[in-house]
Amino acid sequence: MSGVEPANRAESVSSGERELMLTGIGGQGVQLAAQVIAQGATAEGKEVLVFGSYGGMMRGGNTDSTVVISDQPIEAPPVLSTTWSAILMHHQYWTPLSDLIRDGGLVLVNTSVFEDELDARRYQVVEVPATDVATDLGNPLLAAMVMSGVYGRKSGLVSLDGLVEGMRRSVPPYRSQLIEANEAALATGWEMAA
Amino acid sequence: MTDRVLIEGSEAMARAAVSAGCRFFTGYPMTPFTELLEHMASLLPEVDGVCMNAESELEAVGMAWGAATTGHLAATGSTGQGLSLMQESLSEITNARLPLVVFNMARGQGDYFQATRGGGHGDYRHIVLAPMDLPEAVELTRLAFELASRWRTPVMVLGDYYLAHTYQAVSAPSIEGAAPEVPDWALNGSSGGSGSAKIISPLGGGTDGEEGFDLGAHYAACAAHIQEMSAGVDPLIDIGFCEDAELVVAAYGSVGKFVRYACLRLRDAGHRVGYVRPITLWPFPSEAVYDAVTGSAKVAVYEQNMGQMVDDVRLATMGAVPVEFIGGPSWDHSGFGIGPDINVPDISERILEALK
Repeated sequence: MSGVEPANRAESVSSGERELMLTGIGGQGVQLAAQVIAQGATAEGKEVLVFGSYGGMMRGGNTDSTVVISDQPIEAPPVLSTTWSAILMHHQYWTPLSDLIRDGGLVLVNTSVFEDELDARRYQVVEVPATDVATDLGNPLLAAMVMSGVYGRKSGLVSLDGLVEGMRRSVPPYRSQLIEANEAALATGWEMAA
Repeated sequence: MTDRVLIEGSEAMARAAVSAGCRFFTGYPMTPFTELLEHMASLLPEVDGVCMNAESELEAVGMAWGAATTGHLAATGSTGQGLSLMQESLSEITNARLPLVVFNMARGQGDYFQATRGGGHGDYRHIVLAPMDLPEAVELTRLAFELASRWRTPVMVLGDYYLAHTYQAVSAPSIEGAAPEVPDWALNGSSGGSGSAKIISPLGGGTDGEEGFDLGAHYAACAAHIQEMSAGVDPLIDIGFCEDAELVVAAYGSVGKFVRYACLRLRDAGHRVGYVRPITLWPFPSEAVYDAVTGSAKVAVYEQNMGQMVDDVRLATMGAVPVEFIGGPSWDHSGFGIGPDINVPDISERILEALK
């Protein structure tokens, strides 16, 4: 875990808009993490925009999502061309994203599975062994929630309460038995980011 | 915690439709229209409305036509592909003088001509509204039902994949809103011989057996109505930075939001670019476009197609300013119209090239 302060070197393109791009492979919870962070920021009264894209496969295909959070009405269109921050759950489809992160951008990387090089001089890299931590918590699928907890604190965009509320709004009824475990994973991530 | 919710464009439009009084919706699933149908299916029963998943677009438009004759606010939709199937009916519904809202959640921007030229037979036009994002889609969906009722005509809301699938935080949009009174012209079930039977037909109304139908008179009345509507509907447009612009960029819909953003950033960088974003594609805001661009040296039109709205921009500017097409289609592997070229840097580059 890197001990740096919340990212502030990657200036926002438009004043106040903070972008997050997430990438991973289907089944890792990338879309859910985007929803939890976005729903959390929404619950806390922020302006939020989310656009997700994913391949035909539920598991194993590429999956990306973008979130914009701001205190002002958002001007950005749904597809981002640069980003203030990124969450890398897996290396397989991450290459196109590497050029979009602005210099000094906050980059959270799931070191349990991510096997590519990251330029720590260019980005503000936060290493999170999210899948290992999730496995210790009892379920590797909680990795995206661990990551969301870390992101909330490092970015300063969403509080832990907001993340928990966002998770409750995002989890479908047939997954409600996982709410408690998700909450623990968010809190663990939040603590890790201290 | 606030009352704000994060919802997708499709849901916001569905909620706006219900609050505007829509009580009948039908369609056949097709990306990116499907979610609108799903949200209508979930919302309409709450207000004693009806949503039918049709067996095809042909069946959908037929059911919507039937519902519209009863004077209840009805809507249908599809992508441009599905709307191709509906064109014969949409043409006839127009001549039958029936209110109907039609959503085209299009794949890309190839359907501009279909939307604005009247894709079916005959001499008609539809009012076409093209929102750039969720908040505007909510407003324009409500306006579509108002205009459909006021002018007794089909009104199209032209969206796309970005509009349908982008989530945005908004204050929870209510579905409260009374359905309007059933108008006098509506069919009420009275049959022939009752003395109050009515005919609502694309061939003209009336049950006056002695005179018979006068198709010429009916078509003349329809033409007069189109003319009246063309003058009576306020054209809507979003204009930015045109006062001192060397180049004005024209674009519409979601793509218009990308272009607008590109222009904002180019302005930040000191480039004298402005933009015009027609919101009503018919009636086209020709006068406003003319006034906005005549001080500039050139107009560049960006569309995600081979050049369709560019024709209307040329007609609006009447040669006063050169008009250049800088758009082009951009396809993804699914054909949903979310290709990689629709991005701000690429659009900015084309704008800068046109500025040279």
